[in-house]
Amino acid sequence: MSCSKTQHVLVEYFADDLALIAKKELENHLVECPFCSSELELLLNTQNKLGRWEEESVPHWNRGLALFRQEHRIAEPGRGFWYRWQWIPTVASFAMLCLLLFNVSLSSDDGGIKISFGTDQPRLNIESYLAGFEQQQHEAMENLAIRVEDRQDANNLRLMQAVLDQAQEATAQSLDQMAGYFEQQRQLDIQDFQVGYQELADSDYETIRSLQQLATFISYQETVD
Amino acid sequence: MPTETDGKTMMLIDEDEALIAAALKGSAYAWEKLVKRYEGRVYNYGLRLTGNSTDAMDLMQEVFLGIYRNLHRFRGDAQFSSWIYRIAHNKAVDMNRRKRLFTAPPKSADQPAVSEFDQFPSEPAYQPDVRASQGQTNQQIQKMLSKLSMDQRLIVELKIYQSQTFEEIAEIQEISINTAKTRFYSALKKLKIVLEEDHVLF
Repeated sequence: MSCSKTQHVLVEYFADDLALIAKKELENHLVECPFCSSELELLLNTQNKLGRWEEESVPHWNRGLALFRQEHRIAEPGRGFWYRWQWIPTVASFAMLCLLLFNVSLSSDDGGIKISFGTDQPRLNIESYLAGFEQQQHEAMENLAIRVEDRQDANNLRLMQAVLDQAQEATAQSLDQMAGYFEQQRQLDIQDFQVGYQELADSDYETIRSLQQLATFISYQETVD
Repeated sequence: MPTETDGKTMMLIDEDEALIAAALKGSAYAWEKLVKRYEGRVYNYGLRLTGNSTDAMDLMQEVFLGIYRNLHRFRGDAQFSSWIYRIAHNKAVDMNRRKRLFTAPPKSADQPAVSEFDQFPSEPAYQPDVRASQGQTNQQIQKMLSKLSMDQRLIVELKIYQSQTFEEIAEIQEISINTAKTRFYSALKKLKIVLEEDHVLF
């Protein structure tokens, strides 16, 4: 499906200043002609799509300032040290450093404000303080060494005592064991002895009996004879 | 010798005319303020026309150089923004012609005639310098515009983004009003087809 008027109608639709009669005519045609109206809709969609452009930010550039300044013979701002009070932090830091280095102190009394650089006997004070401190350190070290030695001796003694105790205990234990063993052996020997004695007694008894028999026999023989 | 105008005073000056006058007297501050005011519009104009940020930056710098060189000629009978766009238009056409002279391969006889405005990169999405942060919408629009001839691209730019009348466009492009209207319709129709082909419907 197409329409011979499409191009004319749509070209005129986007015109800036369309006469009222022409506009009415155009609208009538668009109502009547589905092809032209759908074409118009698609074109308006396209136009809307283009209208959605999002403004992008400009990348950094020098904005022609270098050229501008060069041609107008203007000094580059921001280059000089005195530009825009940027020297103030540097000076403040330097002043603070001086206050520290020269040991400046401020004091006020009835006579007014007094600014003094350093103290009256700073070096002497420091030296005596250092000597005192060294002495103190030395004593502390010695005390510490003595305490360490004492503790070491005490520890050694305790260790030796413990070793001896253990040795004694072990000896006593082994003596007990030996006594037990001997006692046991003795008991066993006594038993063996008793058995042997019994056996000996028995054999003696047998011997006596056989002797008695022999004597009996001999006496019988004598009787017979 | 001209001197730098005091910044505090310049903060109060807001009118283009006053900034132009101060810049002509040598105020770098006024010049910078003037550039800041219009650089966004010129840069985005370049982005839509060239399809990539490098060319857009080049174009923008050339435009502002042209503005600087011709600032004394601005009479104030038209809006300053229109005047800037006029310069931008001329620079874009110049730049396009120059690119064609330096980069276009020799055309063979059987190749179809290519408009002299078709030399800007046509596929912004494949340009190595495409901005990573660039919005999806802008990329789509750049892609669509890249399918147009430079004449069509310019007329879409003038009509849609600068809201110029066909009379003004006809004057800028040195064509008749009817040609301008027809050219705009053709451009829109082509863009509609591109949209349909790419299924970038919304």
